Amino acid sequence: MNARTSSTALVVLAAAILGYAAYRPTSFAVTVVTWITVRSIVAASMRFVMLIGEINVASIGFVGMGAYASGLATASWHWPILAALLLGAVVAAASAAVFGFITLRTRGAYFLLVGFSFTEVMRLLYTQVEAIGGNDGIVGIFPPTWLDRWFPALLIGTGMTVLYVLYRIERSMLGKLFLAVRGNERIVEAAGISVLGVKTLCLVIASFMVGIAGGLHAHAANVISPGDFGFVVAAMVLAYVKIGGEGHILGAVIGATVLTIVEQYLRGFGALEHALFGAAIVAAMLFFAEGLWGLVHRILDHVAIPPAAARKPQ
Amino acid sequence: MALYAQLFLNTVQIGSVYMLFSLGLTIIFGVMRVVNFAHGELFAAAALLVAALVPAATAHLGVPIVISYALSIVAAMVAVSLLGAVLYQFGFRLYLRDMTGSFILSLGFLLLLQGVLVEIFTGVPRVVPPISEETMVFLGGRVTVQRLVTCAAALVLATSVIGLIKYTNLGMALRAVSEDYEAAMLQGIKYGRIAFVGFLVGVNLAAAAGCLIAPLFTVTPFMGADYLVRAFIIVIIGGLGSISGTVLASFVVALLDTLGGFYFDPTTTTIAMFALVMLLLVLRPQGLMGRSD
Amino acid sequence: MKWQNSALAAVLLAVGLAAAPQIGIAAETLKLGLSLPLSGNGSTWGLGMKWAAEAAAKQINSGGGIKADGKIYTLEVLAYDNKYNTADGTKVAQTLFSRDNVDFVVGVMGTGPTQALQAIAERRDKLIFTTAWGRNVKGPEHPLTFTQAHTSSESMPELFGYIKKEHPNAKTVALINPNDATGKAVEADARAFWSKIGMNVVMSDFFERDTTAFQSVATKIVQAKPDIVDASSGPPDIAGQIFKELRTQGWKGIQVIAAGGSAATLTKTAGEAADGTYMGLVVDFASPAATETQRRLNGEAEKVLGEPLNPVHVSTWDATMALKAGIEKANSLDPKKVADALRTVVFESSYGPAAFGGAETYGIAEQILVPVTVAAVRNGKIVELARVKPKELEERLKVKQ
Repeated sequence: MNARTSSTALVVLAAAILGYAAYRPTSFAVTVVTWITVRSIVAASMRFVMLIGEINVASIGFVGMGAYASGLATASWHWPILAALLLGAVVAAASAAVFGFITLRTRGAYFLLVGFSFTEVMRLLYTQVEAIGGNDGIVGIFPPTWLDRWFPALLIGTGMTVLYVLYRIERSMLGKLFLAVRGNERIVEAAGISVLGVKTLCLVIASFMVGIAGGLHAHAANVISPGDFGFVVAAMVLAYVKIGGEGHILGAVIGATVLTIVEQYLRGFGALEHALFGAAIVAAMLFFAEGLWGLVHRILDHVAIPPAAARKPQ
Repeated sequence: MALYAQLFLNTVQIGSVYMLFSLGLTIIFGVMRVVNFAHGELFAAAALLVAALVPAATAHLGVPIVISYALSIVAAMVAVSLLGAVLYQFGFRLYLRDMTGSFILSLGFLLLLQGVLVEIFTGVPRVVPPISEETMVFLGGRVTVQRLVTCAAALVLATSVIGLIKYTNLGMALRAVSEDYEAAMLQGIKYGRIAFVGFLVGVNLAAAAGCLIAPLFTVTPFMGADYLVRAFIIVIIGGLGSISGTVLASFVVALLDTLGGFYFDPTTTTIAMFALVMLLLVLRPQGLMGRSD
Repeated sequence: MKWQNSALAAVLLAVGLAAAPQIGIAAETLKLGLSLPLSGNGSTWGLGMKWAAEAAAKQINSGGGIKADGKIYTLEVLAYDNKYNTADGTKVAQTLFSRDNVDFVVGVMGTGPTQALQAIAERRDKLIFTTAWGRNVKGPEHPLTFTQAHTSSESMPELFGYIKKEHPNAKTVALINPNDATGKAVEADARAFWSKIGMNVVMSDFFERDTTAFQSVATKIVQAKPDIVDASSGPPDIAGQIFKELRTQGWKGIQVIAAGGSAATLTKTAGEAADGTYMGLVVDFASPAATETQRRLNGEAEKVLGEPLNPVHVSTWDATMALKAGIEKANSLDPKKVADALRTVVFESSYGPAAFGGAETYGIAEQILVPVTVAAVRNGKIVELARVKPKELEERLKVKQ
């Protein structure tokens, strides 16, 4: 299987999913795909920040901002939905610019823990502000009635676009710059480029995307509350990335897909659900460190080897 | 005066538990560069074992409660050490000095262990029968004798661990590895073995904290997660991997908890604490007492 | 353990995926949904509610099922874990309504999950029963939502009035609640009902559910010198720890847990300090005052759940019984028709004959009417001090005769 056939296959698959979502918007399968889409965006964005070598736990804080901003915009101020979604993304990105500029001076464990603190502060702040519903959160965030039928398809289509944009950026010069920062900051600095600026830009792009994800989530779930944006969610998202495989953006999508489906089947298991979910994470970490993407890749390579070997001149 | 004495006593009680819990976390981070999210589950496992064993031992062996408490502690410590050894040998060993990998692995262990603990012990809160119900008055502040004894035990334990790390060969190896593991390896220290020992020391501290706290509070499989968040704050303020910093930070955070809870409210206190942590991480990432790298 | 669990996870996943296309409805089975915390904090409530709903379904099935529209339906209970939060509550709602095509939900625990479920249920005309306390979950704008257990407006006036009568000298009260949707709702009600009988609320504090130390809260209360401390919405294990700490720090006064919970947990955690605590929404299901059904359920619950039955647990039994009566009266499975029938039907609950009412308070009949109890802890045991049948229920029963 070469690059062209696989990308054709992907496009066909994406079109099929979109078509089905437009055809049967209320089916449960489509609902599950919308969850997967939101989680994929967040996971891919978390992985995007990993390009500069950081784990961005604050990501969930920005998802929350996107959800609250766009939720308020539609439910309380009656904005049109697209404007509301954009507002969510802009609020998340703008906050990330300030947050990143200050905190990206730290790195590694310290940046991870700053993000953890930030997420918890945001969650607790939401509970204290009565104007955004306090502990109750915001209830009744609906897409307009005319759009209701098309909303799942819109959500999934937006998600696919976001993923594609992230992929293109990663493949562009900017993406290479991100990787260079991870590889060796000093070389980047020596080339006259501000490392802090590059890192902040990476965080801002990722946060814009999770802002969109937050808005989509708010309008799909119809209800949001502070508890939806705690650091445990960040931990889960990290699990999607790691289990799916860090090597490729599709790894994040695969991780989100597989774990969402697993979760769905474990929902009736109570406490055992946690145990099995934990076991799945541990198993993935111990047996396929490169994640499911790495596993798929290895299998594909294996399948691809015989014809390639046959072509090799003896 | 009585009020201040009470606030002081509150701080000491809370702080000594925080200290035991956080010391384990910081030692493990220092030696292995692993942020162990499953630390709280080991703590909860020990507390749950004690809570389950004390009534059983009292009933079946017919011994006084102090003896059955002591026996239960021994059993719980052994069991949790074994559990820790399993976690290390079949997990963390593969992710030494890999922050991301070990973070996610420990998260998996957290969920797995919590689920298993709920399966075994159910979510119903358990209580260890108190050994003594006597109350003591200190400058007008009041505290139960049992709490004071627990605090004393925690302090003795912490002091001996610090002594172990300061003055023994093993402790020196642990410190050397925390500071610069490559240099330590060049000196002939076997990193893998020291990491394992460091992990076990940390696990035992968690277990000891669980055993000591069991008779003071209600015990559930979820208690570990509650303490973990506080412990993170402490470990950051103290400086990741710094032992003296962690001891100091435990009491600083306990004091903030006490004063904030008294003069404001707990939620505001927590928000302020996290804000402080962020500020500190940006301005002085090595923590209050830590040295910069 | 780990290895086995991983293997189990893999097998389960495979089996689950293989079973995916076979989701469908067996003929003449009526599926009842539940959205409950089955893991983490709150799981003791959720597991009990699930058990009681299953017990009710079993009893109805062995008694011949539910008859409507010339058909006989047997019940199947589907319970999913809402983890006590809104996000998972939404997922449970979509799973119940989109995948399982459930029309009736006989129990939701948690205010957040209830709101999440309502948002979806109301768009699709599904009938739900909830234990949520928030006043905004019921009312004419929520015609298909029923409250399956007492809330503040039913229990607080009786409880507080009783305490005031017993302790006429008490003037001041301190409130403590968890910082969450339920805690906020209960605090507002408690404040209103205490003030109504002339009490002065001198202090009100919220704590995080995952708080690890209650010494500061206790010190703060001691300094405020209230006559009464009302740990309004529990949870009983935390309330127990606070009462114990209050006793240590020298406060002696009247202890109240308005929104009750489990007296067994309270006495276990607070020890002697639990003595004298007044509790609303607590019923001793082992006492002679309880009905035969309740005594039997209590015995079974103690074996299966490891703790005695409490009114929250039994609420799913009552909801299931009410639903049976409602469906049979409406002679239809249309949720709207069943809802209308529920507003007028008298059914056999675990407490004896019961009905839904409360139109005066809420603008629509959606509140279960069962006896209100006032109870207190005496020597480590819960003792019922008063059991009042709501006036509205008395009238409804009279009309029936």
